[in-house]
Amino acid sequence: MRAFIQLHAEGDGFVPPSTNDFNLPPITESIAWLTKPVLLVFLSVILISVFFILSSRKAAVVPSKLQFAGESIYAFVRNDLARDVIGHDFMRFVPYLFTLFTFVLTNNIFGIIPLLQFPAMSHVGFPYVLAIFTFLVFHYVGIRKKGLGKYFKEIAFMPGVPLPVYILLTPIELATFFIVRPLTLSLRLFANMFAGHLLLLVFIMGGDYMMHDSHLIMKLFSPFSFAFGIALTFFEFMVQCLQAYIFTLLTALYIAGALADEH
Amino acid sequence: MRTFNFASEAEKVNPLVPHTAELVVGAIAFTLLFLVLRRAVVPMFEKAFTARTEAIQGGLERAEQAQLEAQRALVQYNEQLSSAQGEASKLREEARIQGAAILEDLRTKAQDEAARITAAAHSSIEAERQQAITSLRNEVGALAVELASKIVGEALDDQARQSRIVDRFIEDLEKSQK
Amino acid sequence: MTHEPTNRREENALWSIFGYLVSGLLFWGGVGWAADHFLNTKYFTLVGLLVGMAGALYLVWLRFGRD
Repeated sequence: MRAFIQLHAEGDGFVPPSTNDFNLPPITESIAWLTKPVLLVFLSVILISVFFILSSRKAAVVPSKLQFAGESIYAFVRNDLARDVIGHDFMRFVPYLFTLFTFVLTNNIFGIIPLLQFPAMSHVGFPYVLAIFTFLVFHYVGIRKKGLGKYFKEIAFMPGVPLPVYILLTPIELATFFIVRPLTLSLRLFANMFAGHLLLLVFIMGGDYMMHDSHLIMKLFSPFSFAFGIALTFFEFMVQCLQAYIFTLLTALYIAGALADEH
Repeated sequence: MRTFNFASEAEKVNPLVPHTAELVVGAIAFTLLFLVLRRAVVPMFEKAFTARTEAIQGGLERAEQAQLEAQRALVQYNEQLSSAQGEASKLREEARIQGAAILEDLRTKAQDEAARITAAAHSSIEAERQQAITSLRNEVGALAVELASKIVGEALDDQARQSRIVDRFIEDLEKSQK
Repeated sequence: MTHEPTNRREENALWSIFGYLVSGLLFWGGVGWAADHFLNTKYFTLVGLLVGMAGALYLVWLRFGRD
């Protein structure tokens, strides 16, 4: 962040934040792949693991505050997402959905945590990976349950439709299941995190620029920019949680759809 | 896919094209997290849930057991009560019957006694009367003989005749009495 | 879907509408655009978009509106 500020402070006018602000340099020049988002993703894995291992270690009937905190998140994913959506046999998918939710949520929230302040999911590579995993999981369980032929037949040929209509419907079905679902899943998450971070950058950096401007009016208006940035931070927090929820919910819905007996 | 762009290079980058490194790192990190959570966290939380369910269910079962026990005790108590009542009424009945029997016994005994006493009295009276009659007869006989001897002046030594006379006299006496 | 509660079913339907609309519009809109491009016409893109939308809504109805 400071790098930007100095960079732009030296410039002539205000340079609005752009997509380039998401391309952070490697931490050390020698290891090219070790960028901030990469580091954040690994940090999230460590944080999530430590938190949940500590909170679940005792597995007491009467939970401590820590156990209660971890358990609430787990129970939310297990009951409200996995059980309510998938129903029968949902326990098989709880570990995956739980990992998905905590992973996305933590990396999203990194976007508003001081010092970290970067949502890893605004780098499209991570949402892509998660969407690919979800894609593989729901197709795999569908094929496992119904067999390859029956599974594809159910997707491509909706029963109870006159034969010529399949020319219209089958491409839509196939496109939905194999292209649009993983694509929208990952792009929705990416775009929300990207736009949210960009918006925060605009107001915080804008406020900073105005504060350092020579004009008095600009200096006076700079606090408003900061205040709006702070208000947006709360809004962002909501969006970050919501997007983690939606990603997990859609994964559960796709799994439920692949397991359903008939369309 | 491209490798790396630094912020200092102000080239335009497409944010929809992923970094290869990020795909790899994302996959590894996610898999790692998945393994940790599946191995260490999910089973523990499930254990806690199961234990909690069992604790609640156990409590319910205990309560049910206690209720059942209370019910059984009540039934037992009622049974005991009714059997005690039956016993008591049986005893009462027995006592009543026994009392009646004793009373009956006593009455018959008293009646017997009374009858016996009456009979004894009767027989003693009869005996006395007989005695009286006999002695009276003897006395009257002796007197009459004496009187007649005196009157007749003849000794009625003949026993048979004497007694015949006495008998006729008494007969007359009896007749005159009636 | 078999054992889903109704609110989940509606939620599922909403997300399905989204997915089907995107793919319907993209596919049939794309076909229309290609037709326009090669036949030097102008209206096939619009027709394709409408067809795609209709197909998407029909699919949602087939899947969630029938029973």
